[in-house]
Amino acid sequence: MSPLTSLLLTPFLGALLIAIVPGNYRVVHRALALFTGLLMLLQALVIFAGFQGGGTGLQFEQFAEWIPSVGLNYHVGVDGLNVGLVLMAAIVSFAAICAAWEVERQVKLFYLLLLLTTGGAIGAFISLDLFFLYFFNELALVPTFLMIGIWGRGEQRNYATFQITLYLTLGALVALTGLIALYVTSGVNTLDVVALKAVLAEKPLAESAQKLIFPLLLLGFGTLVGLWPFHSWAAPGYAAAPTPTAMMHAGVLKKVGLYVLIRVAWPFMPVGVQEWLPALALLCLGNILYCGWVAMRQRDLALLLGNSSLAHMGFCFLGLASLSVVGITGVVLIMAAHGLLAALSFALNGYLHTRCGTTDMDKLGGLLRQMPFIGTAIVMAFMAGCGLPGFANFPGELSVMFGAWKTLPWFVVAAAWGGLVIGGVYMLRAIRAVVHGPAKADFNHVGDANYWRRLPFLVLLAALIWFGIRPDSLATSIQPVVAEIVKSAAPTQPTPAPAAVAATH
Amino acid sequence: MDVHAAHNAVTAAAPAFSSRPEDIAWFILLLPLLAAAGITLIVRRSNFLAATFSIAATVTAFVLSFVLFLMFGVGDAAAVTSPFAWLHAGELAVNLGVTVDKLSTLMLLVVTGVSALVQVYSVGYMHGDRSFPRFFIGLSLFTFSMLGIVLADNFVMMFLFWELVGVSSWLLIGFWYEKESAADAAKKAFLTNRLGDFGFLLGIIIIWAAAGTVNFAELSQKLGAHPDLLGSLASVAGLLVFMGAMGKSAQFPLHVWLPDAMEGPTPVSALIHAATMVAAGVYMLCRVFFLYQVETAWPAALAFFGSISALDIIGGIGAFTALLAALMAIQQNDIKRILAYSTLSQLGYMVMAVGCGGPDAAMYHLTTHAGFKALLFLGAGSVIHACHHEQDIWKMGGLRKLMPKTFLTFALGTAALAGLPPLSGFYSKDAVLLAALDNGHPVLFGLGVLIAAMTTFYMLRLVLVAFLGSGRSEAAGHAHESPGAMTWPLVILAVPSVMLAWVPLGDYLTHHFFTDHGHVHGHGSEVISFGATISAAFGLVNHILFEPFNHAPLPAFLGTGALIIGAWIAVTLYWNAERDPLPKLLGSFARGMRNRFYFDEIYEAIFIPLHDLVARLADWFDRWVVGGLAVRGAHGSTELLGRALRIVQSGNLQTYTFFFVAGVALVVLIALK
Repeated sequence: MSPLTSLLLTPFLGALLIAIVPGNYRVVHRALALFTGLLMLLQALVIFAGFQGGGTGLQFEQFAEWIPSVGLNYHVGVDGLNVGLVLMAAIVSFAAICAAWEVERQVKLFYLLLLLTTGGAIGAFISLDLFFLYFFNELALVPTFLMIGIWGRGEQRNYATFQITLYLTLGALVALTGLIALYVTSGVNTLDVVALKAVLAEKPLAESAQKLIFPLLLLGFGTLVGLWPFHSWAAPGYAAAPTPTAMMHAGVLKKVGLYVLIRVAWPFMPVGVQEWLPALALLCLGNILYCGWVAMRQRDLALLLGNSSLAHMGFCFLGLASLSVVGITGVVLIMAAHGLLAALSFALNGYLHTRCGTTDMDKLGGLLRQMPFIGTAIVMAFMAGCGLPGFANFPGELSVMFGAWKTLPWFVVAAAWGGLVIGGVYMLRAIRAVVHGPAKADFNHVGDANYWRRLPFLVLLAALIWFGIRPDSLATSIQPVVAEIVKSAAPTQPTPAPAAVAATH
Repeated sequence: MDVHAAHNAVTAAAPAFSSRPEDIAWFILLLPLLAAAGITLIVRRSNFLAATFSIAATVTAFVLSFVLFLMFGVGDAAAVTSPFAWLHAGELAVNLGVTVDKLSTLMLLVVTGVSALVQVYSVGYMHGDRSFPRFFIGLSLFTFSMLGIVLADNFVMMFLFWELVGVSSWLLIGFWYEKESAADAAKKAFLTNRLGDFGFLLGIIIIWAAAGTVNFAELSQKLGAHPDLLGSLASVAGLLVFMGAMGKSAQFPLHVWLPDAMEGPTPVSALIHAATMVAAGVYMLCRVFFLYQVETAWPAALAFFGSISALDIIGGIGAFTALLAALMAIQQNDIKRILAYSTLSQLGYMVMAVGCGGPDAAMYHLTTHAGFKALLFLGAGSVIHACHHEQDIWKMGGLRKLMPKTFLTFALGTAALAGLPPLSGFYSKDAVLLAALDNGHPVLFGLGVLIAAMTTFYMLRLVLVAFLGSGRSEAAGHAHESPGAMTWPLVILAVPSVMLAWVPLGDYLTHHFFTDHGHVHGHGSEVISFGATISAAFGLVNHILFEPFNHAPLPAFLGTGALIIGAWIAVTLYWNAERDPLPKLLGSFARGMRNRFYFDEIYEAIFIPLHDLVARLADWFDRWVVGGLAVRGAHGSTELLGRALRIVQSGNLQTYTFFFVAGVALVVLIALK
C-alpha cells in the first residue's frame, strides 16, 4: 500500500472512530481528532522527505482497477506539482483541528465534518483519476457548507451560506460538464490523467473541443478559486465560517481548482489556452487590483482577509496566464504558501473573534500589549501577506512577476503595484488598527494564547518561514513538472531544458 | 604597526578562515540574527542578558569586519563571493551570496561600528523601559538586515534584505507603538518606502529580462561587454532602480517619511536615520554604479529626454532634495527634526555626487557623515534625556556648562558637518563639490556651495540656541550630564569625525570605483599605496591636511568661504537670542520652511484620498453591483424558477401528459433537423 493511501485513509478512520464514540465524551472526540491530525501531519512529512525531486515521474504511485468498463480506477501518486500541496494540506488540516478546540456546540458532528473535509482535500490532491479528484473535492466542499450553516457567525450567516453554496455548486457543475466533455471527446475512455497525457500527446483534442472545454474548466474551477467576477462568495463566506472551516476552505480547498487547471486544462488544451489567455490576464487584474481596493475599504478584519486572499489568487492567475516555467512554478509556490498563510490569518482572526468578541477593526486596538504572542503572530502573518521576504509568499510572487514580464509587462506593473503598495496599505492599516495604538480597557481580561494553544500558529509560522528561506526545497521539485506542462501547453515556444539552464548559471 | 604586517598576522591567526575568507562574511551577517533569535527564545525576560547578547554579537561582527577590511580593503585580495542556492525556477536562478570587496568591507565597518556604539548607548538611554529586551531584538534584526544589503551579491538578495530593513525599521520607529504618533510614523515610513520598492522591483525585473541574470558581477561583466544590452529601457531601468534609493534614502518626492520617523527612540534615529538605513540607498547606487555607465537610451514614449541621462536626473533630484531639506531645517525648532532635515539634505548631497558620476565622493561623504551624524543624534538624545524629553531648542539654552562632554562632542560633530577643515566633513564635502565641478555640472556645484553655507547656518543656530545663552525652561536649568554608557559612545564617535580625514579614504574609494576597472577618474588623483600613506598621515600631516587647497583650490576655498558666511549670519542672528528673528525677517517664506513647504499636507489632500476614492468605488461596485445585482439577481431568478417549477408540478395528470408530449415533439424536432 502506498503511503499516500494510508495518509488518505487516516482521516476517514478517525472520523469513523469519532462516529462510534457516544456524543457526550467530548474530550475523547477532541483527542481522537487531534491524534488523527498529528498522524496525517507526520505521514505527510515522511512522504515529503522521501520524495526525490528533480524529475517528472510519479512517486508513491498506487493503481487499483475499480470499474474497467468505464475506465474508472483508484489511482494515486505525487510528483513535484502536488507533493508540496499534500504537505501543505496536512499542515493546515492539523492546525485547523487544533483550532477546532474553540467549538462548543455539537462537538462530535463538527469533528466528523472537519475530518471529512480534510480527507477530501488530501484525496483531491493525490488522486490521478479526475473522477476521484472531483469526488473528493465535493466530499470536502459539502461539509463546509454545513459547518458554515450550523456553526457560522454573524448576522449575514444565512445569506453567506446560501451564496457560497450556490456559487460553488454552480461552479462545480460547470467544471463537471467540462470534465464529462473531456471524457467524451478524448476517446480515451478514462479520466486517468496519466493515460490521458499519453494519448493526448499523440492525438491532441480537436481544436473545437478544446475551445469548448477549456472555458468550462477555467470558469468552473476558477469560480472555486474566486476568479473575478465570480468571487463575491469568498469574503462573506469566510467571515461567516467557523475558524477551522475558514482555514480549510481559504487555505486548502481553494487550491484544488488551481491544481486541476495546471494539471489538466493547461497541458491538454493548448489551443484553448491560447484563446483564453488574454481574457484570463484581464480577469486576474480584477483579483489583484479590484479585490485589493475592496480590501482597503473593509473595516471588518475577516472581510479584509477574505479580499486579500482573493488578491493573492490574482497572482496565481497572472502566473498561469504567463505560460512560462518561471511564472507557473511561482504559481505552485504561492499555492503552498498562501494555503499556510490564509490558514494562519483566519486562525488569528478566529482567535480575536472568540476572545475579543469582535473583528471590527474600529473596536479593536492596542492588542500587542495584552496579547504579545497573538499580536506578534498577527504582525508576522500580515507582513507575510504583503509580500515580506523571509516568508513563503515572497518567492512565489516574485517568480510570477519575473515570469510574466516578457509577455505581459503592463500586467506585471499592475501586479507589483497591487502586491507592494495596495497590499502594503491594507495590511499596515490593519496592523495599525488591531495591534498598535493605546491598549483598550475592554480587552484587559482577554488572555494571550498559552501553552499548546500556540501550537497551530507556531506550526503554520514555522512552515511559512521554512519555505520562505528555502523555496528551492519546493521549487526544484515543481520546476521539471511545470517545464513539461508549459512545453505541451505552448508547443510553439520551446523553453530551454532545465539542465541547459543550470549550466548557464 | 605596518598594515601589511597586520594583514599577514591576521591571516596567520585565522588559518581556518584563511582559505575561505568569505565564511567570515557569512558569520558577520548571521551574528546579529543569532543574537535576535537568542534573545527572543532564551533571554527575553532579562534586560542585562538581552543587551549583552546583542552588543557582544555586534562588537564581534565589528572586529571580524575589521579583519576582512585588512584582508580585502587594505590587502590585495581580489573580491570574492560565496553563493548558495535559494530559488531556481526555469530561467530564474537566484543564489544568496556575499560580496567581499573594498566597498562592502568599508560599509561593514560603518554599519557594525555605529550599530555597536548605538547599542551601548541604548543601555543608558532605554534604561527602565518595560520593553528593553524587545528594543535589542529590534536593533539586532535591523543590523542583520542592513548587513544583508551591504553583502548582497545580486539584485534579488539585495531586494530581500531591502524589505527586511524596511520592516525592521518599522519595528523600531513604532517601538512605542502605544503612542498614536509613533505608530502612524512607522506606518508612513514603511508605506513610503514601499512606493520606492515598487519601482526598484520593476527595475530588477527589466534588468533580468534583458540580461538574464541578477548577479552584480555577471551583470557588470555583461554590460561592460555590451553597453546596449538593456536596449531602449536602459535609462528607465536605471531610474526605476533609483526609485528604491529614493525611498530608503528619502529623496524628494519620497522624503516625507524621514522627519516623522523621529518619533522612534533617539538611538534608533542615530542608527537608522543617520548612518545605515538612509545610507542604504546611496550604497546601493554605488554598488550598481555600472548600471549607470551604459549608453543613455529612452523608449519612444520618453524620447523627449533626448541625451539627458539617468544620472543627470539622479543628480538633479539629489541637489533639489539637498536644497529643499536645508531650507526646511532652517526653521525647525525640534532638535531631532533639525538633525532629520540636515540628514535629508546631506543624503541629497550624496545622491547628487552619484549623479555627477562620483560614487567615490558619495561613499566618502556617506562614511564621514555616518560618524558625525550618529554623534549628533546621540548627542541630541543625551540632551533630550537630560531635559526630561523636552525637544524644543527654544526651551533649552545654557547646556554648555551643565553637560560639558555632550556639548564638546556635539560641537565637534557640528563643526565636522559644517565642513570645518581639518575635520572629516571638510574633505568629503570637498570631494562631492569637486566631483560636480570636474564632471561638468557647474549648476550643481553652485548649489552645493550654497547648501554648504545653509548647513553651517542651521547647525550653528541649533548649537547657539540650545547650548549657549541661558536656560529658558525649568527642565533645561536642572539638566545634568548623562551616564557613562551614553557619553562614552559620544567620545568614541568624535574620533572618526576628526580622524577619518587623516586616512586617505578618498583615494581608497576612487581606487575601488575607477582604477580597478581601468578607468581614469576625472580629477586624476594618484593612487598612493596604503602603507606609504599611513606613514604620510603621521609624517606629513601638513600635506594631507591641506592637500585640497593645493590641488583643487576652487571648491576648497569656496566651501570654506560658504562656511564662514553661514557661520557669520548665524552668529549675528542667534547670539544670545531669546526668540527666532527669522520669521519676522522672511515672513511667509519662513512659515513655509517651518511647515515643510506643505508637502505632507499636499500628499494627504491629493494622493491618499485619490487611492482611497478608487478603493471606495471598487467597494461600492462589489457591494451593490456584483454582490447586489448579480448575486441577489441569481437568487431571485432561482426563486422565480422554483415558483415556475411549482406550477408545473401540480400533480395534474393532464399537465404532465402535455409536457411529456411537448418534450417528445421537441426531441424529434431536434433529431430530424
